[in-house]
Amino acid sequence: MKPPAKMSKPTSLFVIFFSLFVMSEAVFEDQVGKFDWRQQYVGKTLFAHFDSHSQSSKKLFLATDKNIFASFNSRTGELFWRHVDKAGPEGTIDILLLHGQDALMVVGGGRLLRSWDTNMGGLNWEAVLDTGSFQAACFVAMQDTVKHVAVLKKAAISLHYLTNGHQKWVENLPDSDTVQYQAVYSGGEEEVYVLGVVPNSHLTIIAYSLEDGEIIKQRSVEAPWLSSVESSCVVVGHGVLMCVDTATLALYALPIQAEEAPQFNQILLQSLDLEVSPGFQPVLVSSQPHPARSPISEFFLQLGPDHHVLLQLNADGYTIAPLRDFQPAFLVSFSTTGEKTVAAVMTPKNETACAINLFSADSGRRLLDTTVIFPLDLNGGKPFKLYVHAFLKKDDSVGYRVLVQTQDHALTFIQQPGRVVWTREEALADVVTMEMVDLPLTGTQAELEGEFGKKADGLFPMVLKRLSSQVILLQAWLAHLWKLFYEARKPHGQVKNEVTIETLSRDEFNLQKMMVMVTASGKLFGIDSKSGSILWKHYLENVQPNAVFKLIVQRTTAHFPHPPQCTLLIKDKDTGLASLHVFNPIFGRKSHIAPPALPRPILQSLLLPVIDQDYAKVLLLVDDQYKVTAFPSTKNVLQQLQEMASSIFFYLIRSDQGNLSGFRLRKDLSTERIWEVVLPTEVQKIVAVNGKRPNEHVHSQGRVMGDRSVLYKYLNPNLLAVVTESTDAHPERAFVGVFLVDGVTGRIIHEAVQRKARGPVHFVHSENWVVYEYWNTKSRRNEFSVLELFEGTELYNSTVFSSLDRPHLPQVLQQTYIFPSPITTMEATLTEKGITSRHLLVGLPSGAILSLPKMFLDPRRPEVVTEHSREENLIPYAPEMPIRTEWFINYNQTVARVKGIYTAPSGLESTCLVVAYGLDIYQTRVYPSKQFDVLKDDYDYVLISSVLFALFFATMISKRLAQVKLLNRAWR
Amino acid sequence: MWLHVRLSEVCLFLQAMFILACCFSDMESGPIATSGSVQPNGDRFKIEGRAIVPGVKTQDWISSARVTVEGEEYIGFLRTDGSFVVNDVPSGSYVVEVISPGYKFEAVRVDITSKGKMRARLVNFIKTSEVIRQPYPLQLRSSGPHTYFMKRETWGWTDFLMNPMVMMMVLPLLIIVLLPKVVNTNDPEMRKEMEQSMNMLNPNPELPDVSEFMTKLFSGSKSSSSKAIGGSKCQNITCTSGLRNYCNWSCHGNYNAIFKKSFFIRLYNCFLSRVFFPLSNNPRVCTTLVLCQF
Repeated sequence: MKPPAKMSKPTSLFVIFFSLFVMSEAVFEDQVGKFDWRQQYVGKTLFAHFDSHSQSSKKLFLATDKNIFASFNSRTGELFWRHVDKAGPEGTIDILLLHGQDALMVVGGGRLLRSWDTNMGGLNWEAVLDTGSFQAACFVAMQDTVKHVAVLKKAAISLHYLTNGHQKWVENLPDSDTVQYQAVYSGGEEEVYVLGVVPNSHLTIIAYSLEDGEIIKQRSVEAPWLSSVESSCVVVGHGVLMCVDTATLALYALPIQAEEAPQFNQILLQSLDLEVSPGFQPVLVSSQPHPARSPISEFFLQLGPDHHVLLQLNADGYTIAPLRDFQPAFLVSFSTTGEKTVAAVMTPKNETACAINLFSADSGRRLLDTTVIFPLDLNGGKPFKLYVHAFLKKDDSVGYRVLVQTQDHALTFIQQPGRVVWTREEALADVVTMEMVDLPLTGTQAELEGEFGKKADGLFPMVLKRLSSQVILLQAWLAHLWKLFYEARKPHGQVKNEVTIETLSRDEFNLQKMMVMVTASGKLFGIDSKSGSILWKHYLENVQPNAVFKLIVQRTTAHFPHPPQCTLLIKDKDTGLASLHVFNPIFGRKSHIAPPALPRPILQSLLLPVIDQDYAKVLLLVDDQYKVTAFPSTKNVLQQLQEMASSIFFYLIRSDQGNLSGFRLRKDLSTERIWEVVLPTEVQKIVAVNGKRPNEHVHSQGRVMGDRSVLYKYLNPNLLAVVTESTDAHPERAFVGVFLVDGVTGRIIHEAVQRKARGPVHFVHSENWVVYEYWNTKSRRNEFSVLELFEGTELYNSTVFSSLDRPHLPQVLQQTYIFPSPITTMEATLTEKGITSRHLLVGLPSGAILSLPKMFLDPRRPEVVTEHSREENLIPYAPEMPIRTEWFINYNQTVARVKGIYTAPSGLESTCLVVAYGLDIYQTRVYPSKQFDVLKDDYDYVLISSVLFALFFATMISKRLAQVKLLNRAWR
Repeated sequence: MWLHVRLSEVCLFLQAMFILACCFSDMESGPIATSGSVQPNGDRFKIEGRAIVPGVKTQDWISSARVTVEGEEYIGFLRTDGSFVVNDVPSGSYVVEVISPGYKFEAVRVDITSKGKMRARLVNFIKTSEVIRQPYPLQLRSSGPHTYFMKRETWGWTDFLMNPMVMMMVLPLLIIVLLPKVVNTNDPEMRKEMEQSMNMLNPNPELPDVSEFMTKLFSGSKSSSSKAIGGSKCQNITCTSGLRNYCNWSCHGNYNAIFKKSFFIRLYNCFLSRVFFPLSNNPRVCTTLVLCQF
């Protein structure tokens, strides 16, 4: 035996040779975009800026909750570039400021300060900030040029150069343990003002010198009504702090730069004839067009959900004049171009639309011809925020473009005159779960299928039916030809194959399906898998942010005239309370079937193969008292359940208690516990439990070995793979455990412990194998391990599998390999009948999706090549698994932060449909054993037909020659 | 039952390998041995370097590239000149990689001691302690664009003729046609030598050989047809065991010619089966293929 490191050269050559040979998975260059598409998303917008650097700029910059900084083409809505930072709090974007070509960003709760070159999409510089949680940041200008940026942290303020990020000075804030510093302001003077508050006591204003960070003055102002500067104060006019208070219903104004003991000037809202809606916290909106100048003296005060007032601070700095009252008005926003500042106001127009108008900020007058219409989607969310980009037209009037963000994270870009330029469904950046549903058959198809359904007819009617269906097919074909001919005459641009819900029908090989996607925001999408176009959307309001979803297909399209039916189980993660949303997956419409009320927390849900009289599969929901609710719960179903109760088992996992238990259904729909496995939580915790996919087919029962004997697979449909991780994180003592448990009997079939290993563990459980991936703490590398279960050379009971009657434990083979990259997710391909060989689809952090033949993960790969192993086509063992870029099914169409890979069989045995989702969505087809059942798309018709013709003529000629020869011989 | 034994052997083997692997990793030592664990409040360091794609302007590729440290544990972005800094990295050993959908970069392992000393070395997942130093700050040069696509097989006459398989089949064919004319098979010594070498060439005497079967089949039909047409007389020839089947052929009349021909056919078959064995599951496929050509 040789150590893995010293792999002999012939062996390695052999491996390379084999890897070339088994390479069935590869994309050809001319197939780009033929079967696949990708959609890129960025997530919920937190900050948006238009590039106002030049008049004709098309750039739009977004920073999102997914820690992404992106640049869009505002004319088309396509991405120019996108920078994906680390997920989680370490990469959160705290603020995005735009100055000329540079975009400044504070990242990770005040961890880093970054400056981007927005033109190239590259980094200018990155500076590490001192520790402390981020509060605020602003540009600081000096003599009309912006040279610095001030960053306010909980206990310190620092000033950085814009050119290189170097720190000019940093100062600790006085009394930072009592005073909450929340805002920083610079109006273009030589000072930077920091505003802090001691809640319900006083306001602190500190002025720092720009040059050296020295405190020039420090004031404290009585403000017993003030609790937060951030939420209730803005700076307007020449450095006047404007605050609003709900309790006293008054505005308070305070000049920040005042020399002598300043005082808040109270202006009662009543004196301005204004009234706050009950229970509403008023909000102030102001605008500072340029950091070198002070903010404009006009500001908005929001008094209710749809009530805004435009106010103006008079030149004296104390009195306020109302300019215009907007009621109803959902959203308002300021925008500045040149010297003109305008306010955009969104008002409801009718049920399905809102109108956006521009108003001059300094007078409150409506600007003519500035109305644009924003269409309200009934299946979408309400408008949430406006981003306005105003520009000066040639005739010196103000034009504008507007970006509307709705509650379902969708972005709509509208341009004058009232045209929706593009819409982005950013909810799709966070797909939680998805299913692929077959499209319905067309009328003709259904008729053809119907022929095979009934067998009662005699011979003659069957022949007639056959003939009639052939005629129908011929008709359809002729119609298709006619259409092709007709369309060929038209100019190319006019022919458009628009996909709409009405024209949707199943194709020949069932390759086109409906992708039903559920997003974390609670918006559901129906996407055509062929083109990627969104066919329907439905926004579920009142979905908690911490909800978990489970999508269940209860009835497929196969049961015409019953519509297909999907059920979405929405569960609140904290309380466990769940609700059901039943809908038609093809049209997205909510079903009229009333789901059962679920008053108790739901622990488990299982879809039974039992169907009711309407062909809907029965969904069982187990609540925290182990009572079972069936949906649908008709009499028929309940009766069937009673009959089958003794053979319905399910399992529950309590990972917090390290408890895995099995239950059986009783006739009265209560349950009894029949087994329990306890994995002590002090040692290890259960991280994942996975059974096999119910729609998986295994074609061959065993494997033929080199000596023609058969090694039978252990195909237990009730097998659960339980993965645990040690609680001890020390690299020497950490381990990963894999338990194979029979879900019916609770019998532990096998356990494997990987020492000096830690998670995250990714694994796939299918057929008779489990593949898992972990991190080897000793060698600091990722490793794949494969477990395969075999019954041996004889089957115990070849007709039926019963967990209760399997006396022999399976033989388990295991092999481990090094994988030269971390992985983010893993899934196995799936085909209609399971004849095609399997591939593993591995999502890599680079965004590539690797299609790894299962052949490489075979525990029977021999160390020493023998005649038999060669006969079986086993690849000799090599410790390191290859990653070849040719195996990337998505070539350069990387999928950022791959979260899941969904595989679905198509009507062709060779073809598996793949959808990878994460930040992006990528759909493609894979052929794990090449396309053996259809002609490939590069099939050379010309060559074949020319060879045929050549042969035909050759025979003709030779026949003639032979005849001549015979004749000659006869004459001789 | 032998399978069972074999499986347990495999298990034993794996176990042994595991132990061996443990031994190997135990020997591993170096400056980074202590840095496996991450101190909660330890110092944070930065990894610096520069990535270059020869012949491509930085603005054409940096906006889609990023630097990842140990998967997505730490992330850095590229500056407009191609240099990068990954900040806030605690001491330890990391695989640093520049990820770009367009261009290929080699990964580098960077070791940071608890005092902040850095070194870069080649990534070797098998011999994890092997040190082949790389420059630090990192200098990462792209080795070109990724090859994502397979080349389509295009069909042309030259491709067909210059194909090694075809060459391999055509050349021995020539030999078969030409050699019998050169070698004098009437010489008894020569014949003996041939017989010996033939026995040696026979790969597995127990396995039924398709080529033999085919020759039998063909010779049977041929002999009958030849009788019908020509009506030539058969000679009786005593055969050695290795040449049993060729005796049937001898009915044609000219023993020498048949013997010569069949010998070279076998030689050719064996040659083909040796050459093509690793490719095809069943080596006999090619032998039958060749036979069909005769």
